[in-house]
Amino acid sequence: MNLTSLVRTSHITRTFTHSIKPISSSSSVSLSHTPTSLNPKPKTPLYLKPPIYTTSLSSLKKFQKWAKTLSSSVNASFKDSSNLHQELNWLLQDSLQNPNILQTHEENDNLVALRLKLDDLYDLWTQRIEKRRPFQYIVGCEHWRDLILSVEEGVLIPRPETELIVDLVNDVIKGGGENGDLGNGLWVDLGTGSGAIAIGIGRVLGDLGRVVGVDLSDVAVRVASYNVERYNLQDKISIKQGSWFEPLSEFKGQVAGLVSNPPYIPSGHIDGLQPEVGRHEPILALDGGDDGMSDLLHICNGAASMLKSGGFLAFETNGEDHCRFLFDHMETIHKESFCNLKIVPDFAGIQRFVTGFRS
Amino acid sequence: MKSDSDNFLEIKRHEMKMQQKKYELKQQVFVMQQQIKQRQEDKLFYMSLVCHLSGIHLEKVMQMKESLSTVFQSQSNSIKSQNPSSGYASFSKFSNGYVSNLDKKVFWSCGSRLFSSSQEAVTCDGLTVDGIVANDWLILDESESDWKSHASAIAQSICLIKKRLKWKKLKVRLEMLSYQVEKPDLWDDPVHAGKISREHGSLMGKMKEVNGLEQELIEHIDMIKLAREENDPDLESESVKALLRMRQNVKEKELEALLAGEHDSCSCYIEVQAGAGGTESMDWAGMVMQMYKSWAQRRGYGVTVVDEMCGEIAGIKRATVRVDGEYAYGYAKAEVGAHRLVRISPFDSAKRRHTSFAAVAVTPILGDGSHHVQINESDLKIERYRSGGAGGQHANVTDSAVRLTHIPTGITAACQNQRSQHQNKASAMAVLQSRLDQREMARQAQMNAQYSESLTDNSWGNQIRSYVLHPYRMVKDLRTSYESSDPDSVLEGEINDFILSFLTDSMDKENDEE
Ligand SMILES: C[S@@+](CC[C@H](N)C(=O)[O-])C[C@H]1O[C@@H](n2cnc3c(N)ncnc32)[C@H](O)[C@@H]1O
Repeated sequence: MNLTSLVRTSHITRTFTHSIKPISSSSSVSLSHTPTSLNPKPKTPLYLKPPIYTTSLSSLKKFQKWAKTLSSSVNASFKDSSNLHQELNWLLQDSLQNPNILQTHEENDNLVALRLKLDDLYDLWTQRIEKRRPFQYIVGCEHWRDLILSVEEGVLIPRPETELIVDLVNDVIKGGGENGDLGNGLWVDLGTGSGAIAIGIGRVLGDLGRVVGVDLSDVAVRVASYNVERYNLQDKISIKQGSWFEPLSEFKGQVAGLVSNPPYIPSGHIDGLQPEVGRHEPILALDGGDDGMSDLLHICNGAASMLKSGGFLAFETNGEDHCRFLFDHMETIHKESFCNLKIVPDFAGIQRFVTGFRS
Repeated sequence: MKSDSDNFLEIKRHEMKMQQKKYELKQQVFVMQQQIKQRQEDKLFYMSLVCHLSGIHLEKVMQMKESLSTVFQSQSNSIKSQNPSSGYASFSKFSNGYVSNLDKKVFWSCGSRLFSSSQEAVTCDGLTVDGIVANDWLILDESESDWKSHASAIAQSICLIKKRLKWKKLKVRLEMLSYQVEKPDLWDDPVHAGKISREHGSLMGKMKEVNGLEQELIEHIDMIKLAREENDPDLESESVKALLRMRQNVKEKELEALLAGEHDSCSCYIEVQAGAGGTESMDWAGMVMQMYKSWAQRRGYGVTVVDEMCGEIAGIKRATVRVDGEYAYGYAKAEVGAHRLVRISPFDSAKRRHTSFAAVAVTPILGDGSHHVQINESDLKIERYRSGGAGGQHANVTDSAVRLTHIPTGITAACQNQRSQHQNKASAMAVLQSRLDQREMARQAQMNAQYSESLTDNSWGNQIRSYVLHPYRMVKDLRTSYESSDPDSVLEGEINDFILSFLTDSMDKENDEE
């Protein structure tokens, strides 16, 4: 199969839509449907909106003071765990056409250009503090690696830890060696969410390298496609809707690399999550079943038949226990299929990733 | 039709030129001799000089010097200053090609070719810049329209500029670089070649600029003399005005020459650390950092906080800001050391007087390709800090601070102001690079003991300034004794005068010692 034609022809292939998370994808029935007006366009990040509103410098300073007071009123655990001071700066940075004007000590009636109404700024900051709405949803973007990805409710905000998957892939590609030219092969990102990993990998691959990102969620597919277009990578990366391997049957045995950050939080932990996560981020992106391992195991078991010999795989997990379990599982059950398995820690020192190669 | 005076002038001018050439020749030898003596310890230079002279014995050079000084004995009296200020660029040709033919006739016949590229500026009646300085004409206020006063002021400025540029060393260095730049195998090592040719270009630029100033001064003077001879008051007053403009312009160049160090034009990091003493000294460190932020902003520099560890109650434990702009390092390096505060502490309920310290370190940000150290990714320990708990999908935080430790040296750098971990890491990497570069420069400097102390990072042992808010109000620089009775405005960033007085002082003192 020619990879280039694949990417060009099947831009967004909707093969699967489901409002509830399937227990196991193999038992689910595929429902195909065409995109309709029910699917609104992805939201434009605040920093990309046109600066069509104005307010006076003094009103803006007043907002800033008010916002600072509001953030200092929050309880200690919220204050400790968050970065409200920086977030307020970044919110203003994204809202203003010329963020430097806030550095002056003057307060005057000079007009400043804003990308949203001043009232909306008040609203947004109230949501941040009172509703614990994640900062990234408020500004509509997340800075991740050297990318600025559009995010909105319904799609997981990519985490800093996950950036490392791209580094791991990059090392493997640049390392070259006995595994052939992985950088010019087909890569798969399962559960692509905002498209973060897919885009990150897309930018380190060679000219012939291609990425397919898969997600079950409507919103994720839309947001990921939007981000791919924003980075002008639509010739390199295609986003497909469906459950895990289901939209990929045509690539069996041809995949050069498979990566995934699937939902891995044990169901029992969902209620206790930090409000920003538990109340606002999509449960479909978080809940990994009783022990948090169901999706990881499902993907792990399917990986062997997708990857070509010498192909690379990397999974993000919930931590040491998951890593050990997965490692042992692959070493025993799939002894024949995988080699060179490794557990890799994140920058906080937590064992986070399992990597390996298809024998 | 030429008038008699024209002819006279022409003859005179010609005579002067001849005399000048002899003088320059003498200077060539003088310079050579000086340099050889001065640099004998400097192995690197000596080696290059030796191959440079390609086999010419020093004795021969000495001999030559001897014979020349007898030949030109008569002229040497009329030329007061022995300060060689030009002509060194032709040293190489001279020493390679013409020495063995040292015969008066041959020599003179090629003399003009030899020196044409590096003639010292001289008026038609034989006045040189050094000559003007030696004349010691009275310098009056700028408003007095007296050409001699202007000329004298300008000549002195030029001398000061040369001193600040370490003119002699600069010429030697330039000569060595010119030699290296012309080597055919230079680009075999592109990194080295880049460094060499950058430095060569920069020194060449300085050299040309100063020579240009000398030339300009001499031309203005010639113009004025001409105008007088021709009885042309318009031309005269025009030329005096031009001289005045030059006088003002050269004053600014004096300042620029203070910042002629190799890395002075770079951007830099300023790091402030609180001394012992808890909240009071953390508050002080915060005030010092604020002072630099305001100073940098007023100068139009970009200021970004890279890393900041706040005190529990007030101020900072430490912080690093990146200051972007021309000469940021050149100025800020004057602030390295311990800063002392004396005041009634607002954090002491007993209202006692406290003394606290904050240490300031400054590192230049070298451009790509001029790093002194290559960092190996495998030598790094990378940590995410301020994170706790399970991380990953459990946590949504916007803080992705990263700390790097360079294991072989133990040097660390952290960054937390960026919006992604990746960029915090990149930014911390840049800080680490600049710290390692500085460490390496300091190490090399110790080896050839030619760098100033400002590069050593022993900031605590080196108290540079004291800020007293009680019982009297005064900021005093302990190095220069420069002081201000308005601590508030100093703490609001008015530190230019402190910086300039230090730079002037240390630079002029240092060069006097040469
Ligand atoms: C933890 S998120 C990771 C998102 C993104 N890769 C990242 O790292 O930011 C898991 C993703 O898997 C998707 N997902 C959950 N169940 C899925 C399934 N059965 N098939 C495909 N994707 C699924 C979710 O919609 C979500 O986007």
